[in-house]
Amino acid sequence: MDAGTPHTQAPAASEGREVAGLTDHLFRQESGKMVSVLTGIFGLERLQLAEDVVQEALVRALKTWPFYGVPQNPAAWLMQTAKNLALDYLRREKNFREKQPRIIVDIEQRLSAGEHRDEPFFEDEIKDQRLRLIFACCHPLVPQDAQTALALKTLCGLSPAEIASAFLSSEAAIAKRLTRARQRIQEQKIPFEIPSGADLPPRLDGVLQIVYLLFNEGYKASSGDSLIREELCGEAIRLGVLLTEHPAARLPRTHALLALMLLDAARLPARTDGDGLLLRLQDQDRSKWNRGLIFRGIQQLGLAADGAELSGYHLQAGIAACHCLAPDFASTDWPTILSHYDQWQRLDDSPVVALNRAVALAQVHGPQAGKDAVAAMPYRAQLEGYYLLYAVLGEFEARLGKPAAAAAYFRQALDLTESASERTFLTWRMRQCAAPAPVPVKS
Amino acid sequence: METTGHHSEFLLLFHNSDWHQDLSPEQIQSTMSQWRSWFDGLVLQGKCRGGHPLSDEGKVVSGKARAVSDGPFAESKETICGYFFLQAVDFDEAVTIARDCPALAYGIKVEVRPVMPTCAAAEAAHLAGTATGELAAATV
Repeated sequence: MDAGTPHTQAPAASEGREVAGLTDHLFRQESGKMVSVLTGIFGLERLQLAEDVVQEALVRALKTWPFYGVPQNPAAWLMQTAKNLALDYLRREKNFREKQPRIIVDIEQRLSAGEHRDEPFFEDEIKDQRLRLIFACCHPLVPQDAQTALALKTLCGLSPAEIASAFLSSEAAIAKRLTRARQRIQEQKIPFEIPSGADLPPRLDGVLQIVYLLFNEGYKASSGDSLIREELCGEAIRLGVLLTEHPAARLPRTHALLALMLLDAARLPARTDGDGLLLRLQDQDRSKWNRGLIFRGIQQLGLAADGAELSGYHLQAGIAACHCLAPDFASTDWPTILSHYDQWQRLDDSPVVALNRAVALAQVHGPQAGKDAVAAMPYRAQLEGYYLLYAVLGEFEARLGKPAAAAAYFRQALDLTESASERTFLTWRMRQCAAPAPVPVKS
Repeated sequence: METTGHHSEFLLLFHNSDWHQDLSPEQIQSTMSQWRSWFDGLVLQGKCRGGHPLSDEGKVVSGKARAVSDGPFAESKETICGYFFLQAVDFDEAVTIARDCPALAYGIKVEVRPVMPTCAAAEAAHLAGTATGELAAATV
């Protein structure tokens, strides 16, 4: 894990102010739709072509809209431009090799047919094509790390650099994964379809994992200046909704994942103060939590309870629900949360789960118990470069009345994160501990 | 607004036709929006009197034989991909405007070139009926 790798941070991305007529993140959202639709037309073996013409259509907009204005229906403009570019490509290819002219004529007809379609019908078809593309990206014959990268690239419109930051990896490594994924799809002649029967559940797990990763990337905001990349969370929730609305993908664990995302997203508005700085759970203004999302989350949790299945998503959604339903921090049901973590750890022996469990344990049995749990954690070495390990240990030491030890841990955590708001928070905690407190507080 | 102050004309020439190559859709939209606000703002303030993007394709005509060859004319990094025609108070203001270009971080290069004004010597030359072709070309 090379968590320390600096990635090229685009200065323009965060400070972009949208002009009238353009929805936020329209390009990213439309690119996923356009790639899906064009792949439906060209076939999965031409996925790269679909991606290329979509990128080119976006670049055309970038070159011309600033000068000539934003068209009345930007999404339709982009789609039409991508189709025209694809047609140009095919015609050129047709001239060069007189191969399969019938197929090309057929594709030409289908490309131009889309222009006059009724909007609602077309929307449904887009949903279907997107689901097909999700399943194709997550086909078991594609290596798993490449599956996630490919889905984020094609469906969610993330660039290799953005994906690299989600995976704490380098851009070159992600580019390699993408190439490998596309090669596999070609070599293995992976179908562009929604799996059915016994094939479905295992295939669905890969899909859910991608959605989960995407949500986490937005939620934890591992790098960059904006603590909460709400748009990524929104994108993941949209994919989650797409899955729960489709009869083929609507399993209890799908609802559980959506519940988890909704319940976490509900608390996003309170996670930062007016200056964009991180607020701990105990410092958050709970009136800012989004009641509508909590309601939808609890509803999804109810749908997830249909059947005997208990997934990690169920347990995480259960934990999130405990937080969302507590009127204040003091009345949080920590014993239930801890029991969810216990079960979750039995399903998943990841050190990150163990670290979170230690935090819950400290709430129930005190900071020393939390500290002991961290010391006894399996695979602790894997977290050596993870700033949260030290941030958590720092909080334990502070609560144990050892400010010097706490400050040293916050210092270590500080060196390991690039996020501006996390750095500000950790610096604040470090100074609090380093300066001798006027009134020593013991908990 | 009509002002009596002295104004000079400048061309901003944008170089590097590949600057957008590795941008993500999100970055493309955000840069597009910023560029649009920048351009609109300059037009509204009367500082920009026109501007266009240029296609990557082109022809070059050269030599005694009037030979025509296909573009691109230079490396993509050097290729001009668009221009603004500015009216600014002075060179400094034109440069300041160029520094606001939202694509600088992505590798675009902005060349600021003052449009040559007419001067006494040129007037004289004009009256003498020489060198008119060059002057006309420079003020188009």
